[in-house]
Amino acid sequence: MLIQLSNRDWVIKKIELIFESIVDALLEKKDKLYISLKTRSGSKGRRIDPANGIVTSEDGLQTRIITFPGSTAQEAWRFTVLVRILELVHDALTSDAVITKRDIYYRSPDLFVKQAVVDRYVDDIACTFSVTRNLLNVSAAAKGLIVGNFNIQRSDGTIINGVTNREGTLILNLNEDDVLEVSAIHWIVVVEKEATFRSLVHSDLWVNISSQGIILTAKGYPDLATRAFLRVLTTVAPRIPLYAMMDFDPDGLAILSTYKYGSYSLAHENSHASSSSTSRPLNLPQIHWIGVKSCHLTSSPVLASDRREKAVGQTEGLLRLTTRDRRKARKMLEWDVLAEDGPEAEWRAEMQRMLLLNVKAEMQIFEEQPGGSGQWLKGELGLS
Amino acid sequence: MSKQFLTLHTVDKAHPTDIFALAATPTTLLSASGSSTIRIFDTTAPDFPLTQSIEGAHKLGVHHLVTSKDGKVAASAGFEGTVKVWREDEAGVWGEVGLIKDSNKAGEIWAIALSADGSYLASTTYDGRINVWDLGQASMPKIREYETKGSFGMCIDLSADGHFTASGHENGSVYVFNNDTGRMLHSLAGLTKPIRTLSFSPASKLLAAAGDTRIIALYDVSSGEQVANLSGHAGWVLNLDWSATGEWLLSGSHDSKAKVWSLESRTCVATHSHGDQPLWAVKWLPKTGRSELFALAGGDGSVAFYREAAGG
Repeated sequence: MLIQLSNRDWVIKKIELIFESIVDALLEKKDKLYISLKTRSGSKGRRIDPANGIVTSEDGLQTRIITFPGSTAQEAWRFTVLVRILELVHDALTSDAVITKRDIYYRSPDLFVKQAVVDRYVDDIACTFSVTRNLLNVSAAAKGLIVGNFNIQRSDGTIINGVTNREGTLILNLNEDDVLEVSAIHWIVVVEKEATFRSLVHSDLWVNISSQGIILTAKGYPDLATRAFLRVLTTVAPRIPLYAMMDFDPDGLAILSTYKYGSYSLAHENSHASSSSTSRPLNLPQIHWIGVKSCHLTSSPVLASDRREKAVGQTEGLLRLTTRDRRKARKMLEWDVLAEDGPEAEWRAEMQRMLLLNVKAEMQIFEEQPGGSGQWLKGELGLS
Repeated sequence: MSKQFLTLHTVDKAHPTDIFALAATPTTLLSASGSSTIRIFDTTAPDFPLTQSIEGAHKLGVHHLVTSKDGKVAASAGFEGTVKVWREDEAGVWGEVGLIKDSNKAGEIWAIALSADGSYLASTTYDGRINVWDLGQASMPKIREYETKGSFGMCIDLSADGHFTASGHENGSVYVFNNDTGRMLHSLAGLTKPIRTLSFSPASKLLAAAGDTRIIALYDVSSGEQVANLSGHAGWVLNLDWSATGEWLLSGSHDSKAKVWSLESRTCVATHSHGDQPLWAVKWLPKTGRSELFALAGGDGSVAFYREAAGG
């Protein structure tokens, strides 16, 4: 707890130093005010750390000097945005309240114009201070959904029960004093899409197996809150297998990679995690990919039983790759994670097969089968 | 009528991952895979020993590999989108002699084919262009560009007599171009699903094309008429190859089955299973002895050699 406090004080101090330098410059009647910011660019300067997943190396960061009034109106606006966000973060830290990126945006929507502006500068500030976003007391708006056999006992006494809410509970930031209880589960399944999440929890099968496990989705690329929650979950239940169900397309593999190794654009979250004892790195080395893989394209029972009438190309959920997909796949083959001697030989092979066949498949292909995706999952998990 | 082909030898783990292409010369078999290495096996020795590994040929993996009919030139296409041209020196060692890069950023070079004498290379792009490159000049310039309707060119072949280029596309189109006039000769009808492989017969009279319809269509090259349908595969047809005499057609499928078809009877005379992985590559070896030999390779990374049974 002491460490967390000192970390918080340290960040507060950093922000105040920036403001002090601005005030000093004003007092000295300098003609320019400036803030220096470390920004992240492209996917350069990242490396895979065996323990922490994707981390930044110093050469991957660019230092940008944002000045006021600056040479253009655009630059003056950038400076204003940055000061406003720093002010809100400072408020949050001094009052020890967590704010979401969405909250920040709604405090000055006219200034920020769009949510993405806030998202980018918040992450740049975290990166500049070499801290995780949590240490700024900023969280992403809740996006992930979770359902299954878990209990969370919050420090204020409220209890959240996963089984009773069949529609799923929004994934929340767990505090140090919150207690997560999952002793009855045998598996955790992460699904890429909300649609699959819904179809699984609404299947007849779910009634029978909901007491045995947990299903979770971040509705696409996982946000920090979902990844942090999974880290806590896998720390509380270290022996429980963690499965991933993604689409067979470049985004599906990129999402899987984000869960397992972290994000290329937020690598500083992993880098700085190890330097602080209160936050953990967010990578999930134990995540096990169960589908959709190239072998599911033709070995699915619907095709075996119905081969004459139904050519594979007509199967629901089977699509051809777009130009963007192919470009993305080719770029991803250059990632260290997919390198020839890299850690994910199977991902590399699957990506190559995808390009050869020029086919992608959504998880809906399992819906075509008797029993739908629930039955398929049951088979993959070896449930009777 | 059926015909017997016997397993002669299998090179296990020829590559650590899917073998996507095989190419032959009179004395060797070249293989390419999702790894960056091209491997070369001696087909004159009974145990098909590895004679050369070209390491790092294409860092992101190799998806196409072809040789000229005379066996002097090879070309490989990698996932990064470029083509490398290879030549065998007097000592029998293959080395890189050129690199082809499509200057147009929108397209990536995908399928490739070499002319019989290795002086020209034809390639397809994702957006359906067909390019021909002159390997005789040091800079290996693009000398011709055929426009199609923009559907992914999944496969290409050059006829042995040098007169024709054929391309197969994802929308089911098959085009035959006349290399002498630079014009499209035929737009072949009949198939509506992705065409994954096509091949001119050794005499350049017939064109075989196949893909997701799982039917192999045979066309008369001069008239453009469809002369036969060979059906029997249960999975997508991924690769086709004619024997040197044109008597037999070999096909490989996504469901790991290979079939040998008799051109005389237009029937399947033999079916072989090769593991449970896609069969990406099937290749006849140039006929040197009395019996025909062919090689199969695919998702399990091994290369299996088969021999025609005596008196079969």
